[in-house]
Amino acid sequence: MSAGLLFLILAFPLLGALGNLLLGELLLRRVRAAVAVAAVAASALTCLLLWPLAAGEGTRATLFTWLESGTFQVSVDILFDPLSASMTLMVTLVSTLIHLYAAGYMEDEVDTTRFFVLLNLFVFAMLCIVLADNLLLLFLGWEGVGFCSYALIGFWYAEEKNAAAGRKAFLVTRVGDVFFGIALLWLFALCGTLSISAINAQASLLGSGTLLALTLLLLGGACGKSAQLPLMTWLPDAMAGPTPVSALIHAATMVTAGVYLLCRLFPLVSLSPTGMMAIAAVGALSALYAASCALAQREIKRVLAFSTMSQVGFMMLAVGAGAVSAAMFHLFTHAFFKALLFMAAGCVIHLTGGENDITRMGGLRKQSPFVFWLFLAGALCLAGAPLTGGFFSKDEILLADFARATLFYRGIWLLGTCTALLTAIYTFRLVYMVFAGEPRSHFHGHALPGPMRWTLPPLALLALGGGLLNLPPLYGGKEHLHQFLGPLAGTRIHASHAVEWALAVLAVALFFLGWALVHWRHRRAAPEPVGALPAFLLSGWRADRLVERGILRPFQVLAGWCWQWGDGRLIDGTLEGAGRLCLSGGERLRRLATGRLSTYLTALAWGLVVMLGYFAWRIL
Amino acid sequence: MTEFTHIPWLSILIFLPLAGALLCLVLWRREELCRWLALAVSWGVFVLTAGLFAAFRAGGSGWLLYEDHAWIERLGVRYILGLDGMSLLLVLLSGFLMLVAVLVSWRVRRHTGFFFALLLLMEAGILGVFLALDLVLFYLFWELMLIPMFFLIGVWGHERRIYAAIKFFLFTLAGSLLMLLAIIGLHLLHTAAGGAPSFALDNLRGLELSPSLEAWLYAAFLLAFLVKVPLVPVHTWLPDAHTEAPTAGSVILAGLLLKTGVYGLLRFGFPLFPNAAAASLPWLALLALIGIFHAAWIAYLQPDAKRLVAYSSVAHMGFVVLGLAAWNQTAVEGSILQMVNHGLTTGALFALVGMIDERAHTRRIDELGGLWGKVPRLSFFFLFFSLASLGLPGLNNFAGEILILIGAFQTNPVWGATAFAGVVFAAAYMLRLVQGVLWGAARGALFWPDLEPREGAVLVVLALLVLWLGLYPAPFLAPLREPVADLLNVLPQGGLP
Repeated sequence: MSAGLLFLILAFPLLGALGNLLLGELLLRRVRAAVAVAAVAASALTCLLLWPLAAGEGTRATLFTWLESGTFQVSVDILFDPLSASMTLMVTLVSTLIHLYAAGYMEDEVDTTRFFVLLNLFVFAMLCIVLADNLLLLFLGWEGVGFCSYALIGFWYAEEKNAAAGRKAFLVTRVGDVFFGIALLWLFALCGTLSISAINAQASLLGSGTLLALTLLLLGGACGKSAQLPLMTWLPDAMAGPTPVSALIHAATMVTAGVYLLCRLFPLVSLSPTGMMAIAAVGALSALYAASCALAQREIKRVLAFSTMSQVGFMMLAVGAGAVSAAMFHLFTHAFFKALLFMAAGCVIHLTGGENDITRMGGLRKQSPFVFWLFLAGALCLAGAPLTGGFFSKDEILLADFARATLFYRGIWLLGTCTALLTAIYTFRLVYMVFAGEPRSHFHGHALPGPMRWTLPPLALLALGGGLLNLPPLYGGKEHLHQFLGPLAGTRIHASHAVEWALAVLAVALFFLGWALVHWRHRRAAPEPVGALPAFLLSGWRADRLVERGILRPFQVLAGWCWQWGDGRLIDGTLEGAGRLCLSGGERLRRLATGRLSTYLTALAWGLVVMLGYFAWRIL
Repeated sequence: MTEFTHIPWLSILIFLPLAGALLCLVLWRREELCRWLALAVSWGVFVLTAGLFAAFRAGGSGWLLYEDHAWIERLGVRYILGLDGMSLLLVLLSGFLMLVAVLVSWRVRRHTGFFFALLLLMEAGILGVFLALDLVLFYLFWELMLIPMFFLIGVWGHERRIYAAIKFFLFTLAGSLLMLLAIIGLHLLHTAAGGAPSFALDNLRGLELSPSLEAWLYAAFLLAFLVKVPLVPVHTWLPDAHTEAPTAGSVILAGLLLKTGVYGLLRFGFPLFPNAAAASLPWLALLALIGIFHAAWIAYLQPDAKRLVAYSSVAHMGFVVLGLAAWNQTAVEGSILQMVNHGLTTGALFALVGMIDERAHTRRIDELGGLWGKVPRLSFFFLFFSLASLGLPGLNNFAGEILILIGAFQTNPVWGATAFAGVVFAAAYMLRLVQGVLWGAARGALFWPDLEPREGAVLVVLALLVLWLGLYPAPFLAPLREPVADLLNVLPQGGLP
């Protein structure tokens, strides 16, 4: 098999986007959607067919030299190794399902050309991130997904609020991109190349201070894309986009790009113990923060958005503990169950006629058992119900932290465990409020189109059975993913069976505790708590207001200052002042030219006096 | 090959638009004819520049084409034109953007003949600036481009056109008069040192100057060039001039006139005064960095779409100057490439704002909005060029910026890192523009025509170039390699501060 064929994986979505961009308006709506779906499916199929190329060290392929100047040289080259291959497969598979779902979801929308062009373009950019073998191509994908996310969040642009949410996402993630970009410049200055493999190979030659700084910069970039503290404020607002977009971009793929970046550069990142601790800390704090916010949200998609932030925090925490395979494991299971949850949520919104507020829902189980069971499958994975995909992957992360028997990592483990409990609580709160009891208001729901129904069961199967990807030996598994990743899998977890059992039992206990708490509240029909704390959590700890006051207003004030004072008064003022001085000087001089003979004679006399005086002074 | 190089291509390049301008003046009563004449001439010039580019795309050291004739013998003034890889690229850009300028001015109704005559006259002046190698000849062309622009703004401009035109004229004239003094001074010093009277660049280079004298003469040149670039704090003429100029004027101002400043520094300022230039690099970098943020901040607040794009120009030119100041192969190549990139994207954005203005009769961002629903094709291009302008990878501005940033970081990490933060600022103001113009609810129920074929053709070609330069800039970097390498040897100690 030729390595060049690997570029087909990238080419199909790009061609799909181009085809729809140029011809989409001429095609039937169904054909448009079919083109988009086929492009992504072809990409997934290519990935499967070329799977053998990923074995061992993987395969490299170069297309052409993108930029060359002086010592700087960057090609469009990709690396298909176990890490990128498994990620590619996940991205293309989930994308195919979500594209299919979107074909149903967008059935009644106008302007679907734009939607499918952007969706295909997004998959292309995401695959660039995944497959890139140099940081600049990765950066191309990185910014590309940022743009697609921007344009898709604001897809319903006629409402100012949606477009503003897209803009916020673009700007906040771009702040993170700056850190990543600086790391990129620095790495080139240090290593003389941007090839990821070469950088990873040379990393051990760098000083510890440099490594720490680079790790922190990369972490900054990852925080932006993955919506981690402190660059997380954009993700909840991003839910303004159509639901398939939330499922694809803001749950399954793009938000995990930051985690993937750190995994890709793990050989470099892992050399800095302090940097690793920072990654773990950011992950743990984000996970806890987001889970606490999810407890109080009222919109179904916002609950899921905070939950995504929290779960990505778990992945970061895994990277920080050195367990790349655990991070990727959770990334995959999360992609399956979160995409499922979002798509099921889309069905819920469809059934309730566009309602988003869970306090107005209820009783949907009777109305649509199909959606209920599929949503429940996703929710069980999220809450960590025993033997579901989410259970194994979350457990492995917590185990990896616990096994690093230092005080810091035990603290992180404790935070993670608390988050696990909160996760079970907010997940069941969501399930109970949407599906249990009687409807709290009357809806004019729509029927579910076919594609929206039958794309859910395959995802549910993937989500529930996701544990098989990397089943630990404790349960008789062989850790396939860990084995497959080989040297890329990160540090091995060393823990005794007793500890593993203890943690597993604790996890099960927390799951049931969370369920029991919610169930008990529901039985008592307790009203939603009101007061300062829920309001605080609902507003995401008032992070938006903090950003508004701390950053946006100073930015605008400074901007105004630059304009009015800098350009206006200082520069133009000075110059216009000089101009006025010339004018008034001229005006005064003009007065001398009165045309009266007496003035001229006086001037002549004075001139004579001055000249004579000068000569007299010279002679004397 | 010898047959080919015996034809005075460079003179043809300059005199063709000059002849076209004269014809337009003679035939000014027949407006339709003038319009087509201008299109034919600018098309001819573009074909010529494209042919030159195709012939010399491999680049090479030294002059690719050279013409030298005696002119004013008593003063030693000669008519010297020369083309190297650097001017090749800028000449190509001029040929192309002039064609664009003619096409976007198709609907000019007032004094059409004079309008196109001035455009062609300016083309001659700009091409002359990029080709002249004798300082007097250079100065002549330098002023020749100033005067048509003054009238373009003053006669065909918008509401505050007189203010803007005079401001533009005074700023540039103040700079260039000082440069004239410095040119004469240089000539006299050269003669006093025993040389034959001459204004030729090659003869005046390497003249022994005392440090303070060199600094003063350099400062005079620098001021003239920096006003044109423009660099903060001598940039305030630009927002007014751009905003008030007719669309073609804005396209040429942003696309070409600004580039003559940077070109002048590279061709004359640095080689004539290498020591002073080397000492000035850190200061240039400082001003460039201030400019990137200062202009971006101001751009963010502008209520007028055209003025916002104008300020974005200042920020982008800050990147270009930063690349010069970094003074290594990657950064300087990036700077020159970025000049081409900026010419294309900003030119396209000005053209688009002009097209919107023709339909909406307003350029105020708060009076626009929801254009995507009304004119989707126009909006698509608006979004596309805005993305190019904010430096989305894969589009042209990113290619130039990343070269500049990589180079700047190697020279001084703080410069590179600080400038990178500028991309957030760029995103902030560009997205505000896009938000205000394209998104939101559509205002007014009036029907607007979407792009007509003439407009569409211009934008499609520009968009394809944006993609080409963004994805495969190698053909445009190749002719730069050797000229830039030669240039880098000009300054002592490689310019590292």
